[in-house]
Amino acid sequence: MAVAQGAPPRGALISFKIPRGRGVSLTLYIIRRILWLVPVLFFVITITFVLMHLAPGSPWDREGKQLSAAVVRNLNAKYGLSDPFLVQYLRYLVNVVHFDFGLSFQYEDQPVSALILRSWPPTAVIGALAFVMIVIFGIGIGVVAALRQNTWVDYAVVGFSTIGASTPAFVLGIILIIIFSVSLYRITGGNFSLPTGGFALDQHLIMPVVTLATLPIAFIARLTRASTLEVLRQDYIRTAWAKGLRERLVVTKHVLKNSLIPVVSALGPTFAVLITGSVIVESVFAIPGIGRAFVVAVSSRDYPMILATTILFSVIVALANLVVDLLYTVIDPRVRLG
Amino acid sequence: MDVSIGRFRWLRVPAVVTVIGLLVAACGTSTSSTSNLAKDQTLRLNNNTEPNSLDPGQEQYSYEGSIGASISEALLKIKPDLSDAAPATAASYSVSTDGLTWTFKIRSNAKWSDGKPVTGADFVYAWQRILDPRLAASYADPFFDGTIAGGANYLNLDPSKPADVAKIPAFLSGLGLSAPDASTFVVKLQAPSPFFKWIASLWMSAPVRKDVVDQYGSDKWATSPTSLITNGQYKVSEWVSKDHITLVPNTNYWGGQPTVTKIINYMITDDNQAYAKYLNGELDEVTVPLANTQLVKGDPKLSKEIKFVPQLTLFWMDFNTRKAPFNNKDARLAFSKAVDRNALVTNVLQQRSTAASYFIPKGMNGYRPDLGTTQAFDAAAAKTLLTSAVGDPSKITIDFLIRNSTANKQIGEFLAAQLQTNLGVKVNQIVIDSKTVTTRLRAHNYQLYVGGWGADYPDDQDWFDIWMTGSGNVFGGWSNPAYDALVKQADTTADATKRQSLYDQAQKILIDEAGGGFLYQRNYMYLVKPYVQGLTTTAQDFTNVGDWFWGKVSLASH
Repeated sequence: MAVAQGAPPRGALISFKIPRGRGVSLTLYIIRRILWLVPVLFFVITITFVLMHLAPGSPWDREGKQLSAAVVRNLNAKYGLSDPFLVQYLRYLVNVVHFDFGLSFQYEDQPVSALILRSWPPTAVIGALAFVMIVIFGIGIGVVAALRQNTWVDYAVVGFSTIGASTPAFVLGIILIIIFSVSLYRITGGNFSLPTGGFALDQHLIMPVVTLATLPIAFIARLTRASTLEVLRQDYIRTAWAKGLRERLVVTKHVLKNSLIPVVSALGPTFAVLITGSVIVESVFAIPGIGRAFVVAVSSRDYPMILATTILFSVIVALANLVVDLLYTVIDPRVRLG
Repeated sequence: MDVSIGRFRWLRVPAVVTVIGLLVAACGTSTSSTSNLAKDQTLRLNNNTEPNSLDPGQEQYSYEGSIGASISEALLKIKPDLSDAAPATAASYSVSTDGLTWTFKIRSNAKWSDGKPVTGADFVYAWQRILDPRLAASYADPFFDGTIAGGANYLNLDPSKPADVAKIPAFLSGLGLSAPDASTFVVKLQAPSPFFKWIASLWMSAPVRKDVVDQYGSDKWATSPTSLITNGQYKVSEWVSKDHITLVPNTNYWGGQPTVTKIINYMITDDNQAYAKYLNGELDEVTVPLANTQLVKGDPKLSKEIKFVPQLTLFWMDFNTRKAPFNNKDARLAFSKAVDRNALVTNVLQQRSTAASYFIPKGMNGYRPDLGTTQAFDAAAAKTLLTSAVGDPSKITIDFLIRNSTANKQIGEFLAAQLQTNLGVKVNQIVIDSKTVTTRLRAHNYQLYVGGWGADYPDDQDWFDIWMTGSGNVFGGWSNPAYDALVKQADTTADATKRQSLYDQAQKILIDEAGGGFLYQRNYMYLVKPYVQGLTTTAQDFTNVGDWFWGKVSLASH
């Protein structure tokens, strides 16, 4: 990880004189990065739009009973699909600038923005909770394993990471359902069990959050363990031990801060992935989230829904990256943005 | 639930109600007298997929009809045994002697969920609305434009052309739809259509309120419980997107109050998840995942909860008759004879379907399994027939188009193996996503595909029409003038016996010429909790067995 070489290359694309002072320069940096979103989104929209229309099949194709040619013609007219491609594209761009993301094809004229606002909260809640678990447990057990290298604690963590990283979410999810819902229901005679699925702010959250978090916890734990081991071998740590600092101080002040740099860069995209939804977890636990909505939109060629979700995902990924870059300045004083 | 009000209403049913209407009403309330009922009469179901719309004019999938059938009521309603269409919102109807004018008498106590009376004008509006090309209602063509007088011009009105749009009001007012008074709805037809009673019982034939549509918007009114003013036995009380839709009784319904006071329709797309929910006591009814079939049959408790319901749905091998070898009748027949349907049903479909080498499924008038002998399995005869028709089978390679899903792939794998073993041809399985398959089918860019048909309504006309020349529902392009003539005549023949004999002749041609290689009829295998009483299933159920008649169900204490 070549942090010491200076700012991330992305920042270098626009260069102008930055006034002195860290606060001012940081604010300018953030503004510049957000402005960069505009061209990024333009390309995202253009590429998605073209690919979408190149994909075979129309929103009105289906299995089983077919729509008649006259009905397809009427549907095309109703949804503006009988216009030339370029007209559709330009109209969409103009609408997006006005924050109008159009009406869904699949859900008879419901505004796409309303559909997204309905299906995103469950995904975001579960993703955010899973993220908190990942940060606490992933980093926690990773550090502990490194500090107790080659003890049973270390072996346990490495073993868990290997199993966790190789268990697909659908397997884990179904196993949890079998144990905590179906079996528990049978054993307790129907008095106690976790709900098999659905979304609510109660015990419904437990199994999906655990399922969603397990793989990233395993991944982050391994990453933290490796980078902590590396930092532990550095000269400055030996110095810290040598000058007689207590273990807690060495670990929190010197080891942790330095070993977290690669972890933070991994956590950014992880966060973005988590809150944009996991199709598998949402299917297994029947969560009305946006991940599934996106997949359904793609397979049913619901163009406005595909575009709007892609835009949302792009914004989230871009912002998560921005946060990561800002965090670098906090945990690594060598990093200067601008 | 206020039983007394229900009873009172029931007693006031006026004399115009026909005997059959009374029977239906009686069935709707009879179960409420049972004493050992559960306190909580909440029925919990899995609707599988979220409805795109609950607007009767725009519903098009079974997961929409499953809820639509409870909240919106058409003029007539299918009887559980599918023998006839019984009066529903219409108390009675009469057909003129020339078969062209159908007069429906609407119940004087038929009411919307907001208490206003249902009138003939509501039906005129709803049906005209479906034929307005700007709504782009999915099944305006062929059900309405093909039957209602003046409807044929629907095909010529292109809503993207302003000149055509200007003609729409005149087109709609010129349709054969009228309401001479509040309780009468008259439909004039293009030709005598004995099957029109089924059209009048379709989901899309339910009334729609003009003032509601005008107030909330044509595409918005049916998306929220506040604006979903409907006339069925239940109404929508809650709609949580992708999660559930809750129904409660429509207290203004003419036929009394149902025993079940709440129906929660969950939207769980994963069958295994739904199955786990059933085992966990969170659902009262669930489809058995295919992989769990034997497990459920062998389980002492679950095996008692199985409901096995044949459906009017049939699958066949769709041969692209524009390309060799399927442009040859004997080659098609040989492919059909080469498939061991019993093995398919036993090994792949877990005996949940019925082998069929004929077109019209069990449960319909036209069911004639004896006609299927021409296509019956005979591997040796099949190979001989193919060799004599098109030469050495080993030189033939077939592009077999398969939609990407576990069930389709298993069936595809089995059929490919049968054809390769029994005929010696090469089969190239092309598994791709559903939309791409449809695109290729439309472009006739395939040789073999497994297609199927599910009845819109239990009349032979709905089945035989799809094999007529130019139909958009069978892709293979099979065409036979004699078949077309027979079906055309049968569709408009009033005499039932004569009509049946015409359809039988048509089916014989279709099977003997192997327009399709018919394979199996689908059945539903469900688990239903033992405390669900009065479940009334039909061969036309949508997504749950019994979903036409929740009004007859009650839940025993458990």
